[in-house]
Amino acid sequence: MSRGRFQGRGLDRRTVLKGLLGGAMLGVGVPILEAMLNGHGSAYADGDPLPTRFGLWFFGNGVRLSSWLPVNQGADWQPPAAGELVPLVPHKEYVSVISGLNVKTPRHPHHSGISAVCSGGPHLKVDDVRDTIVSTFKYKSIDQVAADHFQALAPSPYRSLEAAITRFRGTDEGTSFQYLSHNGSANGETNVNPSEESPQAFFERLFNMGTAAPLLLKARASVLDSVANQITALEKRLGHRDKERLDQHFTSVRELEQRLSLPLAECSKPTAPGDFPDVKGNEQMVEKNKVMSDLMVLALTCRLTQSFSIMFSTCGSGVVMWPAGATDGQHYMNHTEPAPRTKQHNSVTFTMGQLAYFLEKLKGTPEGAGNLLDQSSIFVCTEHAEGWTHSQDDMPMLLCGKGGGRLKGNVHYRGNGDNASRGLLTALRGAGLPLSEFGHEAGKTSTPIAELENA
Amino acid sequence: MAKSDGSEKPTSISGRRWGRGLGAGALVLVTSLGGCFGAIGGSAPDATGIGPTQKPAKFVPQPATIHRLTSIQLQNTWKALFGSALVPPVADELPQDDQAYGFTSIASSLRTVSPLEAEQYEKATYFVLDQVWASEAWRSATLGCEPTTVDDPCVRAYFTKFARRAWRRPLASAEVDEFIALTTKVTAFTNTLSEALKFGTAAVLQSPNFLFRIEVGAPVGTEDPEHEGLLKLTGLELASRTSYLLLDAPPTEDVLDSAEAGFFDEPTVVRAFVTQVLNEPAARGPLVRFFRDFMNIGRLDQLDKSADLFPAFSQTLGPAMRTEIEKLFEAKVFDEGGDFRALFTTRETFLNEELAKVYGIAGVTGNEFVSVTLPDDGKRAGLLTTPGFLAMNAHKTATSPTHRGRFVRMSLLCQDVPPPPMGVSTVLPEPSPSEPTTLRERLEVHRQDELCRSCHQLMDPIGFGFEHFDALGQWRDTENGMTIDTASDLDGRPFNDANELAGLVAALPEVGVCIARRFYQHATARLDRKGDGPAVKALVNSFIASDFDFKQLVTDMVVNDGYRYAAVPLEAP
Repeated sequence: MSRGRFQGRGLDRRTVLKGLLGGAMLGVGVPILEAMLNGHGSAYADGDPLPTRFGLWFFGNGVRLSSWLPVNQGADWQPPAAGELVPLVPHKEYVSVISGLNVKTPRHPHHSGISAVCSGGPHLKVDDVRDTIVSTFKYKSIDQVAADHFQALAPSPYRSLEAAITRFRGTDEGTSFQYLSHNGSANGETNVNPSEESPQAFFERLFNMGTAAPLLLKARASVLDSVANQITALEKRLGHRDKERLDQHFTSVRELEQRLSLPLAECSKPTAPGDFPDVKGNEQMVEKNKVMSDLMVLALTCRLTQSFSIMFSTCGSGVVMWPAGATDGQHYMNHTEPAPRTKQHNSVTFTMGQLAYFLEKLKGTPEGAGNLLDQSSIFVCTEHAEGWTHSQDDMPMLLCGKGGGRLKGNVHYRGNGDNASRGLLTALRGAGLPLSEFGHEAGKTSTPIAELENA
Repeated sequence: MAKSDGSEKPTSISGRRWGRGLGAGALVLVTSLGGCFGAIGGSAPDATGIGPTQKPAKFVPQPATIHRLTSIQLQNTWKALFGSALVPPVADELPQDDQAYGFTSIASSLRTVSPLEAEQYEKATYFVLDQVWASEAWRSATLGCEPTTVDDPCVRAYFTKFARRAWRRPLASAEVDEFIALTTKVTAFTNTLSEALKFGTAAVLQSPNFLFRIEVGAPVGTEDPEHEGLLKLTGLELASRTSYLLLDAPPTEDVLDSAEAGFFDEPTVVRAFVTQVLNEPAARGPLVRFFRDFMNIGRLDQLDKSADLFPAFSQTLGPAMRTEIEKLFEAKVFDEGGDFRALFTTRETFLNEELAKVYGIAGVTGNEFVSVTLPDDGKRAGLLTTPGFLAMNAHKTATSPTHRGRFVRMSLLCQDVPPPPMGVSTVLPEPSPSEPTTLRERLEVHRQDELCRSCHQLMDPIGFGFEHFDALGQWRDTENGMTIDTASDLDGRPFNDANELAGLVAALPEVGVCIARRFYQHATARLDRKGDGPAVKALVNSFIASDFDFKQLVTDMVVNDGYRYAAVPLEAP
């Protein structure tokens, strides 16, 4: 990562802002103000394009395809009556539906599905000695691919942010079942970016750090510098897998150290959300989704990060979708509910309603001449087409946002059994990544979905 | 009890006697199911994965690695450094402990430190140090002196002594120099030297040498032909390994001193040491946590049952179920001793009021657990009829013979069952209102469909034995008015009910072999592979020879080759 480049790029804008705001210490972490933009509000005054944001929004256990799929293909998709995408209709100008794409990597229930739709590559069995599988992602998830790109251009204080809405209620089958954001694994080490599950902790971390004396920040940065040097010294004594683990530790410590030296202005500080303990054993998922979505939107508008992930429920999640009338954990329900699987259908419809809240919030947040959703590319996916058969053909995917004008929105693209990674490639391109191909091993593709892109 | 029903007690895991001990049924079954069983360690599978069908392997242990401290280990290590007055950060504020293959220990040997976790470690470090530095007396006691300049020899003395405890090894002089240099640098940002020393200390405590248990080992040469080419863990590494295994805490200064003096090279001394540690109250928690992971009962803390169907269910019931199982294990291992398999047949248990209601036992009041003898009515005995086992391996509203059988097969016998094949619907036929059926009857489809049968016959027949217990683990005479049939078989050995099944399980040497093998995995923080075979066999044999005495297993583990040696880790390809 090039810290110097960031400082160079940031300087002009900070100078402008200093003039505007009477010399208050400012930098990144500042919402983009109208005065910083060109006459059309479509770019910065110096001609730089407005930043795009990339998001990965995941929910577990698949859908019910018969009511998920729109009735038509091409522009202006329409859900079937009482279809699962109905809650997204108010935002359909910003939502494209992708269907008809298949997982091409070696298949295994759940494991290969999440790895394929979140990383474009195969899952990696950890300690490959038993059929009882424990897996992690072999390749980094696409939120981290986007983060690499954004950080190389102009680092944000946080390279990425991760939030979870419902709790992990799955089984001990590795990080694929418990986490969303992965950094990839060369040798079976488990290298993940855990999602924050507590709204209060997320708030404390991002918006309630208080103001530390600058000299003490320097002291803390010196300590972290020493720690980074210790990691480097230790790595020399270790084998390959442990070096990989400590490389990540090193990166994490260096990022923290650099953040301490960035002049972080306070965004408009939200009120403390508190936490949402279960009420009579029921997860307060609607309230939590609302608060987590609000905090994430604030973090995005404040430029705390450009890449994020939201895990509504985990891969193979056992969350009880009680607001949708479910009484059993979703994974179990999927495997036991007889056709027509009304509870599964209602659960997915409910989940899309929660996504709709997030999209609405982004849409309602102005940025430049448009809104935050105009500037975003958000990939929505799940690890199965339908959970009860563990099927990984015809994977349900959505691509939300206009990607700074790169994405059309309101198109249903239906493939013909081709590679699921095409959806991921298109989503990354939508965020401005200059990719002509994406994916790994059998998941590799060089065919973006042109039908969803503005020429 | 195991030996009273005529089951054979094998004297050795290798050779024909062992094969007979397993019983013909198990071996025949396994060979006929080659397609279903996953191979373990690339070898031909048998009931244990380490039995006679496998050629004697050369001992090749797992590569040396580093282990991230768990949250309780971190908390205990801070307390060991600063005293019991310290209030360490709570687990929620620390990087989360995961499980891999059931064990937190294995997950800890895989995890790295993410950006979020680096933040958490930093915040936790200052949370600890700010407590100490807020009290002049406490800070002084920690530093051992009140230096006025960073050149004061006591600064060097402090870092030398403190970091040795924190890193569980002596520091090289150059490493101490770094901390003095850092402290000097930070003095420019702080008002006082003592404040700068806090930041110097923070670097000790955020170091990977503190946050991880480092195992590098020393190469074994020709002087030890049996282990030549391997790495032998150093005395200090073994001191840490053992201290964290037994106490979830760092070695004391005494143990560090002894380790440096070659203490861990003397098996008789090590045995005496472990025996002594196991008598300390502090040894109970870590071994109970092993058993929690072994039984996978941490999940009970999130137990979720239908309140409509089960009025006895509450948010505190799941944790109470976990506590019962943990107390059973603790009492067996630490208070009674002897054959741990008696856990499967005992009618002695520990209940509080709400759990006693699940048992239908009157007279227990309050939240405290009391010792209870279950009635001799043939309904319940031991671990496999605890509500914890029964409820955890059932669904929110319904029982699951498949899940209960799967748990016995996989977790208690250490045998694999693959996941359902892709593309197969797992939905069972709905009971028809006009023709009510029991769950067992509906599970017949698993027996009729060949694709399902090959694996489900490993699970369902065992699980049928528990059908008199509902999804909460309460006894039920009938299932929706229908007669319940619990007669079934365990790999060809017939049983009539859960009580008889428990007796069969208790008599199986596989159960002893399995927990010994799982303890080996826990202690080495890896799944065992083929190269571990000789070391696992040695451990299992001594466990059998001890009549399955669990404390003996722990003691033998610490002197086991698989615990003391490691392979040279791979370099980058």
